[in-house]
Amino acid sequence: MSFARQVLASARLDLAEVRRSRWLVFCAGAYLVLATVFVLVGLRESTVMGFTGMGRVLLSVCHALLLLLPLLALTMFAPVIGRARDDGTLELLFSQPLSRGAWFVGVSLTRYLVLVTPLVALMVGLGLYGELALGQAVPWPFIGRALLISAALLAAFSGVGVLISTLARNPGRVTTYVVLAWAMGVALLDFGLIGVLLRWRVDAQAVFTLAALNPVQDARMALLSGLEPDLATLGPVGFYLAHHIGGTALYALGLLWPAAVGAGTWTCAYLSFRRGDLV
Amino acid sequence: MRLELRQVTKHYGRRTALDTVDLTIASGARVALLGPNGSGKPTLTRAILGLVRCDGEILVDGQPLGSRAELAARLAYVPQVTPQLGATVDEILGAVVSLRGLTRATVVEIAAELGLDLDRVRRQAVRGLSGGMRQKLFIALALASPVELLVLDEPTASLDAAARARFLARVAAIRDATVLLCSHRLDELHALVDHVIALADGHVAYDGPAAVYLDARQAAVIELRQRGDNAAWLTANGFSPGVGGWWSRAVSHAEKLALLPAALAALGGGLDDIVVRDTDRIDLEGTFPSPLSGAPVPGHSPPPRVASRETLEVSRG
Repeated sequence: MSFARQVLASARLDLAEVRRSRWLVFCAGAYLVLATVFVLVGLRESTVMGFTGMGRVLLSVCHALLLLLPLLALTMFAPVIGRARDDGTLELLFSQPLSRGAWFVGVSLTRYLVLVTPLVALMVGLGLYGELALGQAVPWPFIGRALLISAALLAAFSGVGVLISTLARNPGRVTTYVVLAWAMGVALLDFGLIGVLLRWRVDAQAVFTLAALNPVQDARMALLSGLEPDLATLGPVGFYLAHHIGGTALYALGLLWPAAVGAGTWTCAYLSFRRGDLV
Repeated sequence: MRLELRQVTKHYGRRTALDTVDLTIASGARVALLGPNGSGKPTLTRAILGLVRCDGEILVDGQPLGSRAELAARLAYVPQVTPQLGATVDEILGAVVSLRGLTRATVVEIAAELGLDLDRVRRQAVRGLSGGMRQKLFIALALASPVELLVLDEPTASLDAAARARFLARVAAIRDATVLLCSHRLDELHALVDHVIALADGHVAYDGPAAVYLDARQAAVIELRQRGDNAAWLTANGFSPGVGGWWSRAVSHAEKLALLPAALAALGGGLDDIVVRDTDRIDLEGTFPSPLSGAPVPGHSPPPRVASRETLEVSRG
């Protein structure tokens, strides 16, 4: 049987599992709640100072998504192998003519698409709502940019999640690693690192480099650099990098580095999965 | 399919599950894999299935085990503990049918023969089925595939008598495929296998004909009631006194054949009644010497270490 058919068979089975566990509904619900809150806040503020525009609402939504997306990706991917091993899925499927690679690709693609698809629907829906219902000028290029950056960020943390899944067999350990990975992503933004810099007098270049290695930080800088490349919004690292490598390079960094982290960790996870025992 | 295992070793941390196992399973052979808990049976079957990585070499038809997926296309497997899958019967059926290129109708037909109506339970989660229904589902999935190797790990543990009989008949009718059966059930051993591999502590303790293995474990209890003064003869021949003038002794198959004519001759007219109950006594560790006779099976030496013993006795009437 061809690799593509094997991928399709495992993807179909995993999609059913994802639907059954209501992940799709949960992701869509989380995105929708976030968007609704920001739209309502934007509309309420409009009574005081005029509606600040869909651009501002979308930016706020994206800011919040930067914190939410890594957590969603980690919690969706990190338990996948342990759970499949525990409930006998791996033993059943791998006594069939199904390669490890096909299953790994099928499951990864399915879950990644479950994370991305509702996000695309949400952003496009928000844009259409702003344009049609509120009569706003919608910044479609920004929506496209935000979607690409979000997809790259999801790829990064999906890779990290699946790596956790292959390395940690104990569910308790999986949870610990998920929390640690998420905390490192969202806490070690440049503001946190500046604190480190001041506290321990660490070299500024080292702090900036550390911050730039964080996919969340890169995604954030890439998102903001297209709009307001000033110190207040970009933060010290973003401001420094924006003035040294330029806004376009910052955008490229925000896209490529998370994607590279995702690809790297996914490859490591696959190699580990291929070498290890299935049951 | 011919399988050769050379120096196959598997460690789980510090524990050795398989220790330099060498064995050959001939093409078309029907082999029982026996042994107590912890002897390495599941690890050995999983190594053959490619589910666990081992040191050593596994040859399939003389060639090194290549792609696990390619091997899996040539074998079918019924797991000991049927998976507690959240997926529905239909989803699992769809996946296996698609991966193996089967028709759904074939699986449905075999399941029906075992007493499982797949159309009725198609929307149910596999974990929501009873143990017996799950086992029937996985047997149907395994038997629907035309394969060269059938690996059955306690396949009828949860089946009712009728389904078990149909399963045994179906497997017995399979020709050309090699059958590897892990079982603690004597009826399955008698019906399906001609060769036994017994494991103990990760070693091969016995590898030979099933008849020799089972005969060495056949036993009987001779009970007789006599009215004369034959206590001296009975005591000298190992009988123990019971109530109501009954004496009894457990004997091996060979001892039974020798002792019965001797008892009839010695006790003669003083014999009131005699009962002989045959039992199959299988030492599930597959270890030697035999629990009854103490005599080792020719050509095989005992394993180096024995941790515990479990004995199964099944009355044969």
